[in-house]
Formats: sequence, C-alpha cells, structure tokens
Amino acid sequence: MTQVKQPALALMGHLVLGYPTLEESIRTAEKYVEGGVEILELQIPFSHPTADGPVITAACREAVEHQRVSMNDCLEALNTIRQRFPEQEIMVMSYVNRVYAFGIQRFVEAMTNLGIRHLIIPDLPVDETPAAVITRHANIKLVPVLAANVTDARLDKLLNAGFDFFYLMSDFKITGSTFSLHPRLQQVIGRIKQTVPEARVGIGFGISTPEQVQTVHAAADVAIIGSALIRAQEAGGLETYLSSLTPASVGSA
Amino acid sequence: MTPTQTAYKNLIFQSEGYFGAYGGCFVPEVLLPGLQEIAAAFDEAKTDAAFLAEFNDTLQTFSGRPTAFTPLPRLTEEIGGARLFLKNEGLNHTGAHKITHCIGQILLARRLGKRRIIAETGAGQHGYATAAVCARFGLDCTVYMGKKDYERQRPNVYWMELLGARVVPVEDGTQTLNDAVIAAFKDWVEHPESYYLLGSAVGPHPYPAMNTFFQKVVGEEIRSQCIDAAGRLPDYCVACVGGGSNAMGMFYDFLDDEDVRLIGVEAGGRGTRPGEHAAKVLHGQLGIFEGYHSYFLQDGDGNIASTHSVSAGLDYCGVSPILAYLADEGRVQFETASDEAALAAVQRLARSEGLIPALESAHAFAHAFELAANLPKDQIVVINASGRGEKDLFITMRHFQEESLVAYAQHLLK
Repeated sequence: MTQVKQPALALMGHLVLGYPTLEESIRTAEKYVEGGVEILELQIPFSHPTADGPVITAACREAVEHQRVSMNDCLEALNTIRQRFPEQEIMVMSYVNRVYAFGIQRFVEAMTNLGIRHLIIPDLPVDETPAAVITRHANIKLVPVLAANVTDARLDKLLNAGFDFFYLMSDFKITGSTFSLHPRLQQVIGRIKQTVPEARVGIGFGISTPEQVQTVHAAADVAIIGSALIRAQEAGGLETYLSSLTPASVGSA
Repeated sequence: MTPTQTAYKNLIFQSEGYFGAYGGCFVPEVLLPGLQEIAAAFDEAKTDAAFLAEFNDTLQTFSGRPTAFTPLPRLTEEIGGARLFLKNEGLNHTGAHKITHCIGQILLARRLGKRRIIAETGAGQHGYATAAVCARFGLDCTVYMGKKDYERQRPNVYWMELLGARVVPVEDGTQTLNDAVIAAFKDWVEHPESYYLLGSAVGPHPYPAMNTFFQKVVGEEIRSQCIDAAGRLPDYCVACVGGGSNAMGMFYDFLDDEDVRLIGVEAGGRGTRPGEHAAKVLHGQLGIFEGYHSYFLQDGDGNIASTHSVSAGLDYCGVSPILAYLADEGRVQFETASDEAALAAVQRLARSEGLIPALESAHAFAHAFELAANLPKDQIVVINASGRGEKDLFITMRHFQEESLVAYAQHLLK
C-alpha cells in the first residue's frame, strides 16, 4: 500500500491493540493514518489499566480476556502497521508490568527494530531503576506523563533529562472524562518551551470535540484522543468523526 | 547489598522505599506529589515525640491496646507438641489489627491538614477501621470495595455506612481487593488534595514501610508478653499473609532475633492451579503493579491473574515488597493453608479455646497446628490472631450450619 502524505493535524490517535480484535485494531490504525492522524499511540492491552477510564478499561479487558492478545501478537500487529506505513510516527503505550514480564531490554530492542522512538509507560516514573534500561538507550525515549500538580523541582529535573515529548493530562481526570484544561498547564507548557524549545507538548484526557481540539492546539502542539475515537469506532462512525477533526472543520490549524 | 544478618530492622526504615530490589514508587507522575508529601510527613512524624505520644495514647484509649497474649493450654495438650500462644489482635476496636495503621495514618493526614480520606478494602476490616478513625477525627471518608467483597462482607459494609463513610462497590475486573485499590488510586488522581489511606504493607513508597512502622507495636507487645508468660522469646511466630500488614506487624520486632523463626501463611484456596489460590510468594512471579515491585499472581505475559480465597482479606494478587525481600533472604518462610483447613481451624479454636478467629487469621492457625504437632514440647509457637471472626458470620455459618442460616434468612424476610 502506498502512503499518501496527509497534512499534519497534530492529532495523536490512541487505540488498544487487540480491540475489538487484533485484525480490526490494525485496520483501525490504518483508518487513523488515512484520516490524517499525525501520531499513532498504540496501547499494549493490560488486565488492570490503572490510569484509564471505563472505555479504555473495557477495551483492554476485551483484548486480554476474550481476544487473548499476547505480547507477541502485539509485536506482530505493530510490525504489520509499520510495514504499511514506513514513515508513520508511532508511540507505544503500555503499563509497566507487561513490559517487565516481557523483559525491558528485550522490549526496547523490539521497539527500536520497529522504528518506534517513544514509549509511554505511565506507571514507570523516569527515575525508577527499571527506567534506566530505556533512558540510556540512544534511539528511544520515554514520554513523561505530567499533570498540573507537577512541582517546579520535578519539572526542572525532567526538562534536563533529554526528553523531547511531554504528555500533559488536561486536568485531574482519568481517560475519557469530560474535558477541561487546568489553568496551571499554561505555565507548565511555558516552562517546557522555554527550557527545551524543540520538545513537543501533547495534551490528552477527555478530548472529544473539534472545539476541544482547537483549544488544545492553541495551548500545545498535539491533541491526544483515545476514548472518543474508540466510542466513534464502536458507533461505526470513525471516518466521519475523524474528518470532523480536520483543519477545515476546526478552522485555522 | 545484603545486610549483615542482624540489620534488617534498620534497613526497612532507611531504605527510601527499596527493600533489596523490591518496593519502589511505580505510579503515574500525577500521584508523585501526594506520595512525596505523605513520605516527608511520615519521616518527620516517626521521630516526633508528640506525634508518637498521641499515636500511642489513641491506640490505648480508642482501640484498647495492648491486646491480650493468650496461652492455648487445651490445644497445646490436644496437639501434644509445642506450647501455643495467640496474640489477640481481634480485640482491637473494629475487630482486627487494621485500626493500628489507620490511627497512625489519620494522625498523619490531620497533620497535613487533609479533609477527605480515600481507602480501599478487601474483607472490609481496613475500610471499617478507616471509617471509624475518620468519624473519630471528623474527616470525610470514601471506601472502595470490590463488588464480590461488598456482597460477601455485608456486615462490614453496614458498619462503615453507620460510621458515615461512603462505600463504593467496584464492578471492574475480578471485583476484589486489587480492583478496589485501582479505583482508590483513580479517585486520588481526580482528587489529589485528598489523603489516600492505603491499608496494607503494599503499594508505592511510603506505604509498605509506613504501615509496618505503625503495626510494629504488635511484635513489640509480643516480645514483652512472651517473656512475661514463658520467660523467653518465641521459637516461631506465625501470621497469615494477604498483603502483609499483620505479618509485618508481628515479624518486624523479631527480624534481628535470629533464633525466632518467622512463618507467613498464604491462602492455598482450593488448589494450586491459577485462579484457585492467593499464594504470591510460593506461586507468583516478579512484577511491578499497583506502585510496587514484588511477587504477583499473573499469567506468563504480564497480565494480573485472578485469585481465590475463602477469606476476602487474603484474596489479593500481590504481597508486601518487604516480605518478598525477606522471603528471598530466607528470613521469613512461607507456607500455605487451604480454604478447608482454615475453616476447620476456626471450628477447632472455637471448641477448644473459646476463641473465634477471622478466616484470614485461621490460615495461620491451620499451619501452626501442623507445625506444633512436629515440635518438641519445650518449643513456643505464637500465632497472630489478626482479626476476630464475627465478620465472617454468614460465610462460616453457611459452611457449618447452612440450614440454620437459610431458616434465619427466611425469618428475617417474613
């Protein structure tokens, strides 16, 4: 399949590998790319997704309990998606136990072989010992997932640790909640941009409408959408929903 | 870094949350400020004489410490081996050892100016104790409880609600303790100004060390009570292990007494196949979950497995990172007791000694009875009766007198 280069929407589209089936999750990733999603965020399903809301939790449960998606299945799916879209930016999200069970070093090697440059592991703070296996690797970076309560000292530490993508939680929410943008985020983003100008900042958790995407774009580089995409897919309206988020619909981009 | 054989006690409170390779603080960044705030407050409080005086005073005046140290002469004779004693933590207010770390943590929460408390509960004992201390100190209380536990431990749900707590049944996953822990963490993400009063020696730093610190009074009392009663230290201390709070409470003070053997008894459930038991140390694999690195019951691919125990308080997928470390070091030995053996132990202790242990604690008794039978009569075995059995009324009654239970239920519905 040839890749049609779409204009960048600065959208990061999240999906759970293996939901509703492994094949369909691959097809959904294709639809995301064809719909102009700039970054794919592909989640390895986990039995107990501790930071996710009901939509992603249910998707994980289906993938783990009923589809019985293994780590090897996920790697094969990632490989399929990579072969179809050699240039596509892909971030892989997982809870730490799945990576730990597979072997962190082995996982990092599998990811770099697939051309994946960013890992989102929300329950692996970057300074815990096992994270060193990832942070010392030249070709892959962890993505810190921060909220408005990040302390100045913590932020300073993270800004001087070589990260080039920061994932901000829109507010004190779990995924798929109603959207709001915490007032302190502006200050956090300012600090990031001032200290690491080349770093990109994404905002996620609760984003679903074109207006919210526009709000996020005014504040940051990337709008991260997960639960809303899963809901649209479940309702059979994924393409329509994606097109509603395109620059033409949201005005200036 | 292996400590010299007599340095375990110091290591636990000086380790910054790492016990060998275990422990740590594996949580999303959003939870780090709250955990660091609690860790810093605990570090100050644990050497603050005024804090410790209020803690000890509240243990005495509110919970009824010290708890009794009770010889078991009839069972000792029946079994014909080692001398048996029990530490009756079930005499605490709310019926189990859990209130001890709840008192410690509620004083810490108050010190931090917190107004709202979040907790998880398995058997309901930790939730019940949390609800009681929240009422006593005038703080708002929300308790998460797996729906399966909510249904099988209704009496404790009722007590929590009577004490003014909001009890939320969690319908996710296997509807037991780890699902309640996750729901409590999610609440904390949404309400970072609240205080999460985690109820065992598990979870991210500082909970394993902090709850051990508050619970260590159990072992300290056993030390002096055993010397008073028998003129020397025990040869064996036996405790059940779910997450590990009662076991760490009993074991901590003896960690550096090499001659005191420490035995943790896990839930053997109804078999050794996955999903039939809750024996993490004996049948689990290393993992990182719910904030800490330890042994967990999981499939080979890093997904958390379902667990089973007749006792809700042991029906949990993980184990204290401190106990995982002490198990690897060979300092704490691990055994299992089955559902059937625990139920039989309840009946045996009731008939022979007039004491009714919680089903959780009954696992420790079941193993201790076997152990004592094979020991000489000059040996001393102390069992931690971490809770009393009244909360298990409907479970044990169904087992021992089902017809009577059904008749009573019909009577109530008339």
